[in-house]
Amino acid sequence: MGISICDVSKAFSSFPAVKNVELEIPTGDFVALLGPSGSGKTTLLRMIAGLESLDSGKILFNGLDYTNKTVKERKVGFVFQHYALFRHMTIFENVAFGLKVRPRRNRPSKREIKEKVHELLRLVQLEHLVDRYPSQLSGGQRQRIALARALAVEPEVLLLDEPFGALDAKVRQELRHWLREIHQKLNITTVFVTHDQEEALEMADTIVVMNKGMVEQIGSPEEVYHHPANAFVYSFLGRVNEITGKALSETTLRVTDLEKGTVGYIRPHEIVLKKTSEGLGMLVEVVHIHSVGSTVRMQLKRRDTDDLYEAELTIETYKELGAVSKGDLLHAEFNNIVVFENEPGTSHSLQEQTKFTAAFN
Amino acid sequence: MVSREVTLHFDTSAVKVASRFDSIRKWLLIGVALLFLGLFILVPLLAVFSEALKKGVQLYFAALIEPNAWAAIKLTLVTAAVAVPINTIFGVIAAWAIAKFNFEGKNFMLTLIDIPFAVSPVIAGLVFVLLFGSQGMLGPFLAEHNIKIIFAVPGIVLATIFVTFPFVVRELIPIMQDQGTDEEQAAITLGANGWQTFFRVTLPNIKWGLLYGVILCNARAMGEFGAVSVVSGHIRGLTNTIPLHVEILYNEYNFTAAFAVASLLALLALATLVIKSMVEWKTQKH
Repeated sequence: MGISICDVSKAFSSFPAVKNVELEIPTGDFVALLGPSGSGKTTLLRMIAGLESLDSGKILFNGLDYTNKTVKERKVGFVFQHYALFRHMTIFENVAFGLKVRPRRNRPSKREIKEKVHELLRLVQLEHLVDRYPSQLSGGQRQRIALARALAVEPEVLLLDEPFGALDAKVRQELRHWLREIHQKLNITTVFVTHDQEEALEMADTIVVMNKGMVEQIGSPEEVYHHPANAFVYSFLGRVNEITGKALSETTLRVTDLEKGTVGYIRPHEIVLKKTSEGLGMLVEVVHIHSVGSTVRMQLKRRDTDDLYEAELTIETYKELGAVSKGDLLHAEFNNIVVFENEPGTSHSLQEQTKFTAAFN
Repeated sequence: MVSREVTLHFDTSAVKVASRFDSIRKWLLIGVALLFLGLFILVPLLAVFSEALKKGVQLYFAALIEPNAWAAIKLTLVTAAVAVPINTIFGVIAAWAIAKFNFEGKNFMLTLIDIPFAVSPVIAGLVFVLLFGSQGMLGPFLAEHNIKIIFAVPGIVLATIFVTFPFVVRELIPIMQDQGTDEEQAAITLGANGWQTFFRVTLPNIKWGLLYGVILCNARAMGEFGAVSVVSGHIRGLTNTIPLHVEILYNEYNFTAAFAVASLLALLALATLVIKSMVEWKTQKH
């Protein structure tokens, strides 16, 4: 089922939660609504489900106006952040709930319900827990049961609110792969909310980056990561160094028309460190080194301006660089400084992104 | 290493001394509490039964099946049978509204619910007299249509409903607030309608708390004296509830009968406590 969101707005008392959102979700797409807390992503998801009313705008399902349809009429599957399993029911009863509450004429027989529940439990690989209660399950298991329960009513749209937010890192990683697999198997239009850029980049076909109730950019993970529309998207999708004022104009000598207050951005892994100067680069002092698994992060202080930067190296390039310790001086090359013509928040329209290559002589 | 062991040894002995002090203090506190409870609660309770049975079992039962006593028992049961279900239904509705929705005047509503606890029962009774009594605001209207509320059963029921209203609501609000609305929303997304959501999701989740509230409400409904006393008129065999009947018997120096009827209320209290602790035990298990 395709979903069209047309100029949708919603305010809570005087706080605007969602502002003029336009979004087109084709059938079978796997969409991430990505943004910081308070960006309106959960409100938007709940509006698609019908759990929240709209102040203005329209929501269409397959081209039909569903704006005023009830939750029940929309036939969506919704997975809540904290699972919301029925605590007084067994896992079987939880999954069977959506089938058992159907009006008698289209309610499946007891045997059909039983078969369907077991089929779903096999899909989420938890058939052995059929007689347990939710309180006896781990967080990851509960989340999978919540998904099985939502799928029992055969929804044409699956909506997930921060599906893995309350789980520990390892379980989260497993469930991401598993959810992708399920999506591939069932091919239901799926929309999930997350504040974790890694999760969005890893799972989604389409990422909708939201900020302050507005859509900042819509695109594939590839597009939003490598061609961010604006500074907000750029800095939200990964670690970033900001370079301002004098430091910026010095690093980008070819650019003469930089306005005052312009900010340049560079990702930590794009800073190239050398022990000897090759004409390019500036002198920096190593303030701190810490290795995180396969990467090494370094805090650097620019010698002449005292600006602080963060650089990220793979363990290999770190070894190539040779022994480095706190207080050493290195030459840093800033090769991919990105400058956005408008500052974040001033406009949400897509902006031309300008890339500069620093040249030092 | 050596110094470490020494400090460790020193620490355990210090802990031992402290724990000995703690245990003395503990038993002292328990003892005082027990003594107080025994003196002020257990002894009077025993006195009720011993007074009631002082002149033999036969007289005890005679006092209970005497027509006026029997009428009082019936009236008390009828009153509770009306007041408790009404307060249960409206209690659930009010608790649901307060716990699961945000609306203006929510705090005002909470305050209103607490009024029966804050106001003296005598005043509660007087309010009804002022409203429905022959000199009251609605008196002439009621007299015209030959409806009797004050000094009759409806007045007693009304006063009891007023006094016992907060029990169920107050019990349910924290439970419902704690559970939030997620499960109900989940039920709705799964296609359940309002009734199905209430009976299959909301009610099972609050059932033990609800039962607890109902038991307390019932105990108070049967035992209420002040408010009922004002509106009843103390007509023997007609508008006397058990507590009022006990008072009349006592004032007539009919101690054995008074204590015999009073022992019914005491038994009710004991039964309430037993059911209450059973429910508490059940609630903790879930």
